[in-house]
Amino acid sequence: MTAHPAGEAGQRALLPNGLRDVLPPEAAQESLAIKTLLGCFGGYGYQPVKPPLVEFEASLLEGASPKMSTRIFRIMDPVSQRMMGVRADMTMQVARVATTRLAKAPRPLRLSYAGEVLRVLGSQLSPERQFAQVGAELIGSASAAADAEVAVLAAEALGAVGVKNLSLDLMVPPLVPAVLAAATLDPALFGPLRAALDRKDAAEVTALDGRVGETLARLLEASGPVARAFERLSAIDLPPAALQVLDRLRQVVELIKAAVPGLTITVDPVENRGFEYHTGISFSLFARGIRGELGRGGRYLAGAAQEPATGFTLYMDTVLRALPEAEAARTLFLPYGTARDAADRLRAEGWTTLAGLEPVADSAAEAKRLHCTHRLSGDQIVAL
Amino acid sequence: MSANANDRLVLALPKGRILKEVMPLVRHAGIEPEAAFEDEHSRQLTFATNRPEVSIIRVRSFDVATFVAFGAAHIGVAGSDVLMEFTYPEIYSPLDLGIGKCRLSVAEPADLAGRDDPQRWSHVRVATKYPEITRRHFAARGVQAECIKLNGAMELAPSLGLCRRIVDLVSTGSTLKANGLVEIERIAEISSRLAVNRSALKTRPEQVGYWIDRFRDAAAEMANAA
Repeated sequence: MTAHPAGEAGQRALLPNGLRDVLPPEAAQESLAIKTLLGCFGGYGYQPVKPPLVEFEASLLEGASPKMSTRIFRIMDPVSQRMMGVRADMTMQVARVATTRLAKAPRPLRLSYAGEVLRVLGSQLSPERQFAQVGAELIGSASAAADAEVAVLAAEALGAVGVKNLSLDLMVPPLVPAVLAAATLDPALFGPLRAALDRKDAAEVTALDGRVGETLARLLEASGPVARAFERLSAIDLPPAALQVLDRLRQVVELIKAAVPGLTITVDPVENRGFEYHTGISFSLFARGIRGELGRGGRYLAGAAQEPATGFTLYMDTVLRALPEAEAARTLFLPYGTARDAADRLRAEGWTTLAGLEPVADSAAEAKRLHCTHRLSGDQIVAL
Repeated sequence: MSANANDRLVLALPKGRILKEVMPLVRHAGIEPEAAFEDEHSRQLTFATNRPEVSIIRVRSFDVATFVAFGAAHIGVAGSDVLMEFTYPEIYSPLDLGIGKCRLSVAEPADLAGRDDPQRWSHVRVATKYPEITRRHFAARGVQAECIKLNGAMELAPSLGLCRRIVDLVSTGSTLKANGLVEIERIAEISSRLAVNRSALKTRPEQVGYWIDRFRDAAAEMANAA
């Protein structure tokens, strides 16, 4: 049997589902974006940590949502004979580092991270199984200032990498449970109510339970731009626990508005999907016209000590989709034989140089062939 | 209105049966499509409307959900059957439009229904357009459903021996009856919903919220008039 050469080459190039080679110029764009993000976090005192790619399954899943267990690739460690998991999310790893090895570091502890994660299945909307996560965690403070700091940092950092029309959606996962707890509801209704709330189906919520349904439906109606949301929220009769949560939200919004005046802020009092383990103010970041979330974050309890913590993770696959197309760098062709010190000087001036390795007859044509934007002719820089 | 209220907004509508019921609602909400929209033979897929920022696309009902989930359309009208089948987390369905009402049911040949004991099932083979809903429905009671995906004419499957049971939309039940089938179980009551892309609602809350309110008013007014 003779295989077609192209077919054979094609077979070699085929990657498993959801995995891809990132090529120039996107790979450079991604690493620059990650560097910029970490730089912003660093400016606020967040220090990078680098947990390993693979951990023992038990510690990787400690404190994570049960869903996480279905998302990780597992490998048997031939040395310890224990099951290991490849991380599908870095937040839990950083929380583990903070509450174990860095348990004695002064609080509040500010940590940042960037790394690749791998998951068993992509979703239909974001099919990537491997992508980079970049994030920051603030551990050991329960204050409103901490809630605001991470949200502001996320918004500022995304602005710094060039994301336009950013929109911050604030959520309060404990709000609905507080309303339900006060209502002494038939537990059988919890599931259907949650499902209807997730769809934002006010009619269904009211149909399921008249009393608490009306409150929940009004919470649904309150979701939207921040000013209108607060106006509607303050007209709803809520149990004390829920009012306390909303009070905190108000404080945090004021702090965020003062720090990032132009930011579009929306409030979603009932959103819960993916935030089941958050214990306070949480948020998602969107950019207009971009599919999916750029990142998400919020308050949680870290480690066995249940330390108050908050933080966020940015999903680089989506962040990169929100950036303007990568531009090819300005590249200067140096003909064969260009003096070493001249080349060094040009690089010091900020040029990306491409040295000819052999003499060629037409150095202009050679520079063009290599996609250079400029070439050195004598000591003159000529645009192509 | 703020500046972003003039951003382009795409409304996805389902082709076929439901479209006739949807259009009065769309008009009530204040959207009047260009004349070519009424021409069923037109090959045009995108239609302008009286609102310069709003355009309409006409696609298959299952595709409405896909267009809205990916944000290619911002708002759409889709049956709750379609939304249940896909369960895209990126779609909100805030509004029951009260049209396109029917039910999603399990049906089998009348002679089988008489002697069948569903308690004894461990596995069923079902012809359906809704493999996900069917699998979930049967799995919840400990039955494994092997689904044969068909795109239409489900009622033929039992009589030709493809399988004995089907899961399909039933409105009057006359198609089932004509094919010697009886409805043995209702999975869900179905109606058309307004489907909204999550990211669009979050990034353009005023504009998308405005249209949700218009559709809510239109649905309420039409329900009152009926």
